[in-house]
Amino acid sequence: MKVLLLLRLWNYLRGYVIIIVDGFFTEKFINICAHRNILLWDVVVQGDRTMTMRMSIKGFRLIRPIARKAKCRVRLIKKTGIPFILNRYRRRKAFFVGALLFVALIYVLSSFIWNVEISGNKRLETARIEEALANNGIKSGILKYGIDTDSAVSNMMLDMEDISWISINIRGTKAKVQIRERIPVPEIVPRDEPCDIVASKDGMIKKVVAKEGIEAVGEGDTVKKGQVLIAGTIPLKDDDKRFRFVHAMGKVTARTWYEEESPVILTETERLKTGKEINAHSLVLFSWKLDLPHRKNNFSNYSAAENRRKLSIGEDLVFPLEWVTVSYKEEKLAEAVINAEDAKNAAAEAAYQKALQQVPENAKVVNTNIYYVKDEQRGLLARVTLECLEDIGVSRKIGGN
Amino acid sequence: MARNNAKKKKLKGNKEENNRKKGFREKLTEMLELPKELVLNIPRITMVGNGDMMIENYKGLVEYGRARIRISTGPGTVKITGIGLVIREITSEDIIISGNIHTLEFLYASNDMEHTG
Repeated sequence: MKVLLLLRLWNYLRGYVIIIVDGFFTEKFINICAHRNILLWDVVVQGDRTMTMRMSIKGFRLIRPIARKAKCRVRLIKKTGIPFILNRYRRRKAFFVGALLFVALIYVLSSFIWNVEISGNKRLETARIEEALANNGIKSGILKYGIDTDSAVSNMMLDMEDISWISINIRGTKAKVQIRERIPVPEIVPRDEPCDIVASKDGMIKKVVAKEGIEAVGEGDTVKKGQVLIAGTIPLKDDDKRFRFVHAMGKVTARTWYEEESPVILTETERLKTGKEINAHSLVLFSWKLDLPHRKNNFSNYSAAENRRKLSIGEDLVFPLEWVTVSYKEEKLAEAVINAEDAKNAAAEAAYQKALQQVPENAKVVNTNIYYVKDEQRGLLARVTLECLEDIGVSRKIGGN
Repeated sequence: MARNNAKKKKLKGNKEENNRKKGFREKLTEMLELPKELVLNIPRITMVGNGDMMIENYKGLVEYGRARIRISTGPGTVKITGIGLVIREITSEDIIISGNIHTLEFLYASNDMEHTG
């Protein structure tokens, strides 16, 4: 009985009947049906002279003369399939209109863009990208069939200089925008122009390797930002007043320090939830918001959390209907004393993280110092100093800044 | 008896004629690579193990029961015996049978002739 699932589904869609045939010449009945192109399936012998079988609705209409010819009695056992179900609801016009309207609404709503998803931007503001996209015809509420993503991509590239690559994909009701930002190009002095190598930041020189030019500083020297490290101005041997100019090249490794501090907090106000809460619901359709009535919020201390749920089918088909719940939870404030050791550690960790953010990518942290200082105004402070090794040399035209 | 003999003779004659005729047709179809079952009017039987069976180019159903099915085809009757035999599908071109098939017999007129004579 394992008819293919697809075939089963097809038969269900077309509708079929199960009949019981009773007579001495059931084979004859089957033969005539087969010859008249009436498809029979699942023919099962039930008793001595009876068998059940399935056939299409169309076939069932042609069956009477065949039964007479084969001297068989045919009884209908069961009607199965969509046509019978539809027939049952034939009189219910509103039902059909509703079903049709539903399909139409889904179709109409899914042919608009309802959501613009931007990813890949770190420095660029999402709002700015959104604005630029909107100018190029990609924003929520626009018909998705009219969008020319290719031209939008090239226009975006022209409009925003800070992006190096952009892709726009329309998936369902979502426009997925992926962006790669342009990495700012360091100003490079052309190879044939004379230049110095200067310090990009303060530090203590660890090592100077000059490939071209004269080393102006040595190991252990402290340098200020902008100080010449490798000079491109070389005095001529005999004459102190005349110079030869070269394009200085080389590597200057220096120790640099990054320092951050964070206050040690010994007391903490804990917010304890009292358990009382008020939920305010609202329904957002497009940009039209309907607030549902709720109890008045008269808590003196509370926290509010907003939860937005968009109506969507799967991940990509998002509809412009949103259910927003803002829950206000009443809180009681309580002062709590924190263990001194824990507080210090927490402050040190916070300061360390802050300092680490300042360290550029090409620098290597070689030493970490943590110490605590008393400050008149701010109390105890955790101070973290990161000692790094990094290349601080940058080229600068001679005579320039 | 005499009538029977005459019938046999007639059959024999027919058979020889058929043989000659078929020989030519068979050669032709083989030469032209035509589907044999259609030109020669013989059934094409496909089986998957002993559970499923499809017979194409058949003439009609002679007997249908859970243990035995007989199907008439061009050259003669095909008899299938087994347990729980069911016709899964029947159209004018093919018939699909499933169940536990034990035997498949070809009750052809020519086979009878060889048995008897």
